[in-house]
Amino acid sequence: MNELFALPREWLAATGEIGRFMGTVMGDVWGGRVLHFFGESLRQAGILIVSSTLVIWALMFILGLICGTEGAYFLEANGAPAYAGVFAAWCDLREIIPYAFGYMMAAKVGTGIVAELGAMRISDEIDALEVMGIDSMTFLCATRLLAAWIVLPFLYLAGMGGAFLASYIAVVQQVGFVSSGGYLLIFWEFQNPPDFLFSLIKAMVMATAIVLVGCYYGYNAGGGPVGVGTATAKSMVLNLVLVHLIGMLGTQVFWGNNPNAPIGG
Amino acid sequence: MAVVKEEEFEFHTGQNRPAGVPDAIQFIDVHKTFGSNQVLRGLSMGLPEGKVSMILGPSGTGKSVCIKHIVGLMYPDSGDVVVAGHSIPSLSDDDLFELRKKFGVLFQDGALFGSLNLYDNVAFPLRQHTEKGEDEIAEIVNRRLSEVGLGNANEKMPNELSGGMRKRAGFARSLVLDPEIVLFDEPDSGLDPVRTALLCELIKEVHAENGGTYVVITHDIMSARRVAEYIAVLWRGRIVEAGPSQELFESENEFVRQFLAGESSGPLGME
Repeated sequence: MNELFALPREWLAATGEIGRFMGTVMGDVWGGRVLHFFGESLRQAGILIVSSTLVIWALMFILGLICGTEGAYFLEANGAPAYAGVFAAWCDLREIIPYAFGYMMAAKVGTGIVAELGAMRISDEIDALEVMGIDSMTFLCATRLLAAWIVLPFLYLAGMGGAFLASYIAVVQQVGFVSSGGYLLIFWEFQNPPDFLFSLIKAMVMATAIVLVGCYYGYNAGGGPVGVGTATAKSMVLNLVLVHLIGMLGTQVFWGNNPNAPIGG
Repeated sequence: MAVVKEEEFEFHTGQNRPAGVPDAIQFIDVHKTFGSNQVLRGLSMGLPEGKVSMILGPSGTGKSVCIKHIVGLMYPDSGDVVVAGHSIPSLSDDDLFELRKKFGVLFQDGALFGSLNLYDNVAFPLRQHTEKGEDEIAEIVNRRLSEVGLGNANEKMPNELSGGMRKRAGFARSLVLDPEIVLFDEPDSGLDPVRTALLCELIKEVHAENGGTYVVITHDIMSARRVAEYIAVLWRGRIVEAGPSQELFESENEFVRQFLAGESSGPLGME
């Protein structure tokens, strides 16, 4: 009987440990402790911009194209080509683009954090920080979270603009079943400013979870290079689960009671 | 509490010959267990202030664990570790971080930050803990790097350095805050005999110039002969004997004699 409960107990313990770690790091940011290392936060922000922006935008743009193409052909096939803008608007803003952002964040940023912190852990660099009198969790993890919060809202909103442009190109320029004016009228009619905020919140919750999960697995990596590889894989699995969980909950919470199209029924 | 079999300690006299100065670091009946592996089993020792001390012992006997206890990276399951008058396990996190500013630690592979070049690695503690301007930092960093023979390697990244250079760079970084206590975790591991000898000379020279309490962890007897002023021989998680190096090298203790002579016959086998 004990063996039957051993695995769930282990998962529960791990969840508690991850939760406590995340709480500590978020506390360091909210409490301002991270500002002792504001320069490092800015450095991390710079690294994020230089190394991840283009690839995230590229995925968001491609999925914007797909939203536009799918919507144009599907609605044309059902006799309502002028309404391609509805599909593109919701596909972009509510679902696919936040997921695209989450996927690429998990694949590029999350795994990058695990690999970097894990390598630092196994080569004693984290211990070296500690013995220099530097709180390594604040220096390595809280600074990365603050950097993400500084950079990612702008990166996400700009990427969303790129996805909108991609959908427009697909529907109006490539497929061409609807005029530019007709597409934009419907496209903007089915979204409003709070929707942007909700979409941004959804993406930022995903980003926060991804950065924290990456920090947790990297900071606590052990067992040499193999251990770092295992931690990277584990972080990717957990991040993909969290991205979908946050995406689903976000849609229900923000748009479940939307009078125009209640998703919650 | 794990059971301790006293027959395992027949050579452990625990004799602590006085060094003539007060202890900077004290272990008081320290026990530490990892899973079923009892590493420290009632360790009591003192390491004298202002001297180069060596903790010597066979591999896997808890030497590196001792260093981690001294700097508060690990805490004892029971017992106490007192450094510069502070009980390490009793300190708050903030007090511990403050105390650590008095330490310099040289890790086995130098533990240089892979994303920073040599200059920035050595400058790192100064930039984090002092208000010094870049000119003053440059003066200190260049002096320390020259001291360890790396004056021309400022721009090199850690992955461009040999093992010996990384250790010397780590040594330079550990010295920039003028620490009161410098700890060396197997500084000779992975080095050829000549570079080991040069590093030992360097440790002696820097200590003679700067003073402070140096603690070197090693199992290399030649290094001990070259550098140590005080030796503590550790085996099975306890001190066998400790004292000024000359007295230890003349010890009648069977284990100490075997270990310090590097002989194959004696109490220490392959087990």
